[in-house]
Amino acid sequence: MKRLSPFQLAITLAAALILLFIVAPLAGMFVATSPSDLFSTARDAEVQQSIRLTIWISLAATVFFAIAAIPLAYLLARKDFPLKSLVAGIIDLPVVIPHSAAGIAILGFVSRDSVVGKMGSAIGLNFVGHPAGIAVAMAFVSLPFLINAARDGFSGVPVRLEKAALTLGASPARVFFTISLPLAWRSIVSGLILMFARGMSEFGAVIMVAYHPMITPVLIYERFGAFGLQYAQPVSVLFILISLSVFIALRLLARNKKQKTAADA
Amino acid sequence: MQNHSYRFYTFAEISGMFLKPFHSLIITTFLLVFFAWFSPKGTCQSAAGIAGDLVIFHAGSLSVPFKEIAAEFKKLHPEVNILMEAAGSVASARKITDLGKPCDIMASADYSVIDNMLVPKFADWNIKFAGNEMCVVYSEKARYASQVNSGNWTEILQKPDVAFGRSDPNSDPCGYRTVMMLQLAEKYYKKPGLKNRFLQKDQIYMRPKETDLLALIETGTVDYIFIYRSVAIQHKLKYLTLPDQINLKNPAFASEYASVKVEINGKKPGEKETMSGEPMIYSFTILRDAPNKAAALTFAGFLLSRDKGMKIMLKNGQPSVVPTKVDNYEKIPAELKPFVKK
Repeated sequence: MKRLSPFQLAITLAAALILLFIVAPLAGMFVATSPSDLFSTARDAEVQQSIRLTIWISLAATVFFAIAAIPLAYLLARKDFPLKSLVAGIIDLPVVIPHSAAGIAILGFVSRDSVVGKMGSAIGLNFVGHPAGIAVAMAFVSLPFLINAARDGFSGVPVRLEKAALTLGASPARVFFTISLPLAWRSIVSGLILMFARGMSEFGAVIMVAYHPMITPVLIYERFGAFGLQYAQPVSVLFILISLSVFIALRLLARNKKQKTAADA
Repeated sequence: MQNHSYRFYTFAEISGMFLKPFHSLIITTFLLVFFAWFSPKGTCQSAAGIAGDLVIFHAGSLSVPFKEIAAEFKKLHPEVNILMEAAGSVASARKITDLGKPCDIMASADYSVIDNMLVPKFADWNIKFAGNEMCVVYSEKARYASQVNSGNWTEILQKPDVAFGRSDPNSDPCGYRTVMMLQLAEKYYKKPGLKNRFLQKDQIYMRPKETDLLALIETGTVDYIFIYRSVAIQHKLKYLTLPDQINLKNPAFASEYASVKVEINGKKPGEKETMSGEPMIYSFTILRDAPNKAAALTFAGFLLSRDKGMKIMLKNGQPSVVPTKVDNYEKIPAELKPFVKK
């Protein structure tokens, strides 16, 4: 019989309490929603479209901004430069900015008369009220998660491996793609999932930039205001269930490769 | 091989590992102060008069005048802690009906919201107190700002390089009032199709609450917005006064206003409700379950007095409609009876 030390019991208790803290409000919401309400909401075309839109825009925003964010994370992990702490602090800013303030800032940044807005108009794109604007708002509030996770991932890759590859004749680009990136991949994927998740749930910043098309957080808010809790809750429950399955799937996909190599070893 | 022995660490050892005694003292003091500062003050009635928290849910367009009224009220009753929450009038009502959030006073931009949603289950009466009017608001940075006037706005706003914003008729009284105003304008200016042209243009700039439109105009995202005159005055924006026949201000034109109707979302998805045009009236009520009725009644009396609350409302661009007739005079609290007509 395994004898748990008091310390192990204590941390198990703490873990259980925290898990309960997360699960309890959600369970309350699930219990309050009847299966029939849930099914009729799932069949509602407006809800389906909104959930699809939210997932796609956040996915696109994550992938698009990851292309530049991952190199930044690599730089932060490898290079030392003056004011590095300031840069690190600035990267964390979007997390603390109140969402409405972030939304107004983004609005000013992409509106018709701004530099970005004018560039957009040149190709016929108006960010306000367009999925592109929603993507910008989602990315703004969720980038810090990716950058920090990727930076920690790259920091964990031993520099001597990179240096060894360089001495063997690999170019810096080849080192990045064949050594650094694969070894940091697990952290990067974690960061990508986090950025994707955070982007999907953004409300305050997105609603400033685009009310329509309605992403699901905005739809829930609108439904609550117009029709009440009975019609807003099923949408929330549905959104949570779909998001949960997406995250579990992503984490399983990310883990499978590691588990395989560990088993082979 | 090393022999691991299990032993209990005492609490002192654990704390000693993580906290020096001095640090523990600092943290404890901080926590005590923190909790004392943020503890609820309760709703007791002190010997000197009313005290405690007073929770007011109000429409977005009442934010500025109510903040001033609350500040003036606090000078007379410093023991009262006024907590105000702005939201769309319907959303505010939902917080009470669906979420059961405690509230003393609910003030709406449209009296029918209180009549339809709160009376009789959550409130017994509804007192009308102020009016407002629809107008076209713009900043100096707006395109064609120097040329626009009450006569040509219908053409200028239709120009392709001009953007205007309005609020969602399904969520906000200002939204459906805008649509009503556009319908009335179509008749008044004798321009068939005007309403549809306006409803179809610039839909990306629609926002749920009228005060969200301010962010759009102040960032230059739009040039013009359809909003209440009071909001324009409060935010020092320029505005065009529209004729009384279309601006929903004047009760003398009530039958004119009643000739237009707007369909908005009803009680369930898919259901629709019809709103008829009428002069804009703001109203408020004290909830039956108000936690702090004494303070609420005193505040209500302050709000409705001509030389106190209503003076501030007038200064902020909203005319008074006190006293207005009510159907259920006997239900009005005694302190507020002087402010209504039988």
